Parts: sequence; structure tokens; C-alpha cells
Amino acid sequence: MRKWMTVITAVTLTASLAACSSKTDTEQTKASTKPEATTAPASATAAPAAKAPVEITFWGDWGGEGEKQFVMMADAFNKSQDKIKVKYVLQEDMITKFLTAASSGGSPDVMFWDRWRTSLYASKNVLHPIDDYMKRDNIKRTDYYDEALKELSAGDKLYGLPLTVDARALFYNKKLFAEKGLQPPKTWEELETAAKALTIWEGDKLVRSGMSMNDNGLFNMWLQQAGGSMMSGDMKKTNFNNEQGKQVLDFWDKLINKDKVYKVGFEKGLGEGTDAFVTGKVAMTYTGPWMLSTYKKYGKDLDFGVVPPPTGPSGGKGSVMGGFGLVIPAGSKHKDEAWEFEKWWLANKDNALLWAKTSMNLPGFKPALQDPFFKDDPNWKPFMDTLEFAKIRPQHPGYSVMEVDGLMPNLDLFVQGKQDAATTLKKGQEQGDKLLDQNAAGK
Amino acid sequence: MASVSKLSRHQSRMGYLFITPTIFLFVIFTIIPVIMALYLSFTNYDIVSKNDFIGIDNYKRLADDPIFWTTLKNVLFYSVLYIPLNIIISLSMAVLFMRKRIGVKLFRTAGYLPTLTSGVAAATVWIWLLNPEYGLVNELLSKIGITGPSWLAEMPYAMLSIVFVTLWQSVGANMIIYLAGLNGVPDHLYESAKLDGANAWQSFRYMTWPVLRPTTFFVSTMSIIGALQLFDQAFVLTKGGPANSTKTTVYYIYQQGFGQLQMGYADAMAFALSLIILVFSLLNMKLNKEDESII
Repeated sequence: MRKWMTVITAVTLTASLAACSSKTDTEQTKASTKPEATTAPASATAAPAAKAPVEITFWGDWGGEGEKQFVMMADAFNKSQDKIKVKYVLQEDMITKFLTAASSGGSPDVMFWDRWRTSLYASKNVLHPIDDYMKRDNIKRTDYYDEALKELSAGDKLYGLPLTVDARALFYNKKLFAEKGLQPPKTWEELETAAKALTIWEGDKLVRSGMSMNDNGLFNMWLQQAGGSMMSGDMKKTNFNNEQGKQVLDFWDKLINKDKVYKVGFEKGLGEGTDAFVTGKVAMTYTGPWMLSTYKKYGKDLDFGVVPPPTGPSGGKGSVMGGFGLVIPAGSKHKDEAWEFEKWWLANKDNALLWAKTSMNLPGFKPALQDPFFKDDPNWKPFMDTLEFAKIRPQHPGYSVMEVDGLMPNLDLFVQGKQDAATTLKKGQEQGDKLLDQNAAGK
Repeated sequence: MASVSKLSRHQSRMGYLFITPTIFLFVIFTIIPVIMALYLSFTNYDIVSKNDFIGIDNYKRLADDPIFWTTLKNVLFYSVLYIPLNIIISLSMAVLFMRKRIGVKLFRTAGYLPTLTSGVAAATVWIWLLNPEYGLVNELLSKIGITGPSWLAEMPYAMLSIVFVTLWQSVGANMIIYLAGLNGVPDHLYESAKLDGANAWQSFRYMTWPVLRPTTFFVSTMSIIGALQLFDQAFVLTKGGPANSTKTTVYYIYQQGFGQLQMGYADAMAFALSLIILVFSLLNMKLNKEDESII
């Protein structure tokens, strides 16, 4: 008799343990949605009103200040009407979480979206196209940058609207430029002259670099300045193993190895407050509008200016456009409501501006960009000029792998002087093409 | 007699009962996922939309993937440096801190401290320390007239830096294991060795080292597994660069699975890696079983 009792206890113990483990799962998801308590009081007061609003979830991976700004937008939207209630949920590892959610239910209704991902994900049918909504509500495509919309499209379908637009431009240290009597460069030649004049070496120690050559990933924009493009017109093969690619590498070689305006690894490990540009250890650097607030915050003594990227030998202009958007996952149960929110935020001048000004981002909605806040500011203006010619990354699901694993390792070898330009381009092409092929959709 | 066998039968039954919950969880969270992953490695699973059986295509692609081979070469290079150094350093630390001297506890604590920091946090600090112009390491080197390299951005140094940082972080834990092992060597053995006229090196070589064999076996096996699964430090310190020289297999698995949505292929790589770990662990076991000592 007693034996059976123990058997039963053991079985129940096992069962309860198993139950526990599944319970903690749901508790965890609950806990992760909790921090948005700021939105809760609003719902508590609104609830008794006639009809309960439809609640939709909005996922993003921006925490801290970014989270506050998103919550503010959700609150503003919730106050503007009483049919839909948006709740921001911070997902630190959003994409991974989204993948499991997309295949097992529990998908969010709106998602903050790094646009370059579209070509990889849209082909998996996890995003909901918004073309019908656009037509129904008469949203004009001309209100957005073509390139930004293109980056949110796959096939003939559009999957979201741009939230921000950005592109890299040249930041320069005004004080250092004035000391040497230099003007911000407009061409590669002027860039080289300025960089050479501003570099300081003490023996074999680099004290100040004239131009940051930290990021080989910017090859794409240099190539555009040389008049080239990363991929062939049919988006199947790489297209940098040619004269234009060689021009870029030759120029890099000149800057790094002959003029010695930079040292490989110079900026590694320097964080926000000790950033080489903030502390004047780098006189010029290519970066995007996202650094404006950092440079203003940390660089009390830093007087900087921004100009569009200098042009290449044959006058080519080039920069890479990027940015974020909002998308509606295919698994959303309230797509119409999600669209209302997206439209309210991204196709309305006031709302687009509200977030853009608070978060210090260039809005994707063009009419909002016409606001004096952006148009007349000497720091924002160069970015807007740059956006006129900036191009998005080529739309191929394997593009980033090709760039990161195929091309950049070869560029690393090149800037360290371990591989010549011709070999670099040739190997970059061979390995890049292979990766493009292996990572093409449908494979 | 009958009562004894009854008792043992009762005991074994209770034993099984008690391990049931653990086994149950182990099956659900370990065995079943492993079997599923094995199946998925023969599919083109992309997490969301596709899951077709494609035979050994993933494994064929693996054989033909230069990046996969590069990552294997990288972790093997890392292991060859890391594992022996790890054993030598942690054992010497243990032998050194075994003696009862004033302040030895402080040294033990200091040796163990790095183990307590998270891999990512430690790596973040080391990036800064290893900066070529402003980092502490090169600053100190320049005091003795050496121009240090760009540790994390230049080819042979990047992997050496990772070896160094991971060693810094892991020798403390192994030191503790060796200290425990050293405590198991009976004092009277040392005394009789001394009487026989053995010097310190001889008593270490012919007594301590053989007695520590199981400990060394444990430490080396864990180091092999850890080394082949290197991820955090390589991810934070160098992002696999420069020129893929510090890209590790686990990093590549992560990138292909979650970045490129090629989970089937990532699974195939994971199985290839676990096979390699198995081979090296067996090899290590073989080496440690030999009656003749290794050194």
C-alpha cells in the first residue's frame, strides 16, 4: 500500500515539475511585457467606455531612451482615438523571437524593422504586403524616397513604410581644419590633401589620424564614388572586380600605406565618450546622422561640421542609404488596426515629426523633412543633400554574407598589406559570387 | 537471504523513481531536440516556411564551404595553443598556491576572480586594454621600448589575443579543480619521497602528476569541448575578423541559422562539430588511459 503511495507521489511530482517548466515560460513572456506599465493607466481609465478597444502589440529592439520614445508614440496614438490600443513590447533579441513567433503563433501586429532585412524575410512570407492599404487610403509613394521604399519591397510588393532615412556623410573637425587653413574636401584629392595635413605621428605612434579608415564595410560607398556598383544589374553576381574597384583600393592604399593617415585598429575599443572623433584623435570620419547627438553630448569642446561625401576621380557621388521602417507581420491578427497605427505615424507630417525630433532621426516621410528643424539646420542639411543620391544596399538575400564573409576578409588582408589589389578583388569576387549563390532565396 | 534481495530490489526501484523526473526532463529537453536537429540537418529548414527533406545536400555543401573549413582551422589553432597553456598555467598556479604561506589566500582569490566576470563584459574591457595606441598593454610595452601591434586588428595577433583573454578568464576555475586534486595527494607520500632523497621536481614528476591524472583528464576534456565551442570572446573581441581569422565554428553556425535562416545547414554544421568534439574527446581519453605517462 505504502509503496503505491510513493509511486503516486513520484508521478505527481514529475507531472508538477513538467507543469512548472511550461508555466515559467508563460510567466517569462508576461514579465517581459510588464515594463510597459506606463501605458497601463491609460487603458484602465479608457476601459469602462462603451466598447473595449482592440489591443495591438508593437515590437521593437530599442531599449532605454528609444523605448521611452516608442512608448510616447504609442501613448499619443492611443489618446488620438478610442478604437485601437497599442502596446510597445521591448524584445532584446527581436528577430530570433519573431521567427519562433511567426511559426508558432503569438506574432506581434507591428514591428520596428531594419529595412535591409526585407529581401531575406519577405520571400519567406512572414510579412504582410501593404499595397492594398496604400491604394485604399491614397498614400502617395512620392512622399517617400524611392530607394527607401525599394528597400522595403520584394518582388512587386511593398511591405512597410520608412520610419527613418539615413546615409553616411563626412564629419570633420572644424577647429583642426581652421588651424591648417583647410576647407572641407569636395573631391578625393582634397580629401587626401586634408588628411595628410592633419595627421600627426610621433615616431611610430599615431597621435592623430587625418581620416578614419576604420570600416572596410564602407567599400560600397567608395565604389559608388568611383562610379561602380557592388552587384551586376541583374542582381546575380558581384561587380567590383573591375577598374572602379581598383581605383578604390589604390586610393585606400595611398591613404593608409603611403600617406599613412591611418593605422589599422586605431579606433578599436574606443567607446562613445572616448570616441576618436570626439577626442580629436581623428580629424575626419564617415558616419551617419545617428552620431550627431552623441557628438553633441560628449564633444563639449568639439566643433564639427558635416559635408556630403567627396566625389571620386570622375566626379561620381556615392553614399549608402539605410534606415528603419514599420512592418506588419503576416501572423498579425489585427492587420487593419496595425495599418491604422503605421499610417498615423508614418504618413502624417505632425506625428512623423514628433518622433523624429524627439529621437533625433531624419524622418522617412518627406513632407516632415521640409520642416525648418531639419531643412535649415547646418548639421542635418548635408545628410538631406546626400540622401538625394544615396543608394540602398543591393537587394539580394545573400548580400550581407557576401560583403561580410566574402569581400571584407580580403579587404582586411589588403589594408594590412598582405594581399595586392588585383588578388583582393579577384578573390573577393570568387568568394562573393559563391556566397551569393549559396545564400540565394529558395536554396 | 531473501530479505536482502528484496531490500535491494526495493532500493533500486526507489532509485529509478527518484531519477525519473530528471530523466524525463533530460529526454524532453536534450534527447528529443538532438534527434530533431539530426533530422533537420537533412532538410532545408528555414524556421518559418520550408522544411523539405533534401538528403545529404547540407553535408555536401559543408564539404565544399571554404568558410566552414576556415572556422575549423581557426578553432584547431586556438585549441593547440589554449589547451596545453591552460593546463600548464592552472596547474602551476595550483602548486604555487597550495603552500601555506601568508597571503596565499589573497592570491587564490585574485586568480579565481576573472572567472566570475561574464565573458562578454570581460571581452569588452579587454578590447579597450588592447587598443594599439591608447590601450594599457601597448602603453606598458612602449615603456620597455617595444611598439605593440594592433592586437585585435592584425592577423596573427587577433587569435593570440583571444587565446590570452580566454586563458585569463578560465585558468582560475581549473586552478580550483587542481587545488582539490592536490589535496587528495596524501602527505605521507611526500614525506617518504623526501626520505628517499627525491627533489621537488622529482616528487612532482613521479608522484603529483600521476596522482593528478584523473584531474588532468577532466580539465583537458572540458578545455577541448570549451575550445571547440568558442564563441563569446571571438564574437565580442573581433567579430570574427580580421580576414575571418578568428571566426569560430559556433559563430558561423549562429550566423547561418539565425542570420541567414538556413537552420538545416546550421544543424548539419552543428553535427559535424559535435562529431569532431567526440573524436577529440575519445583521443584524449585514449591518451590518458595509457599506462605510460605522457611527459
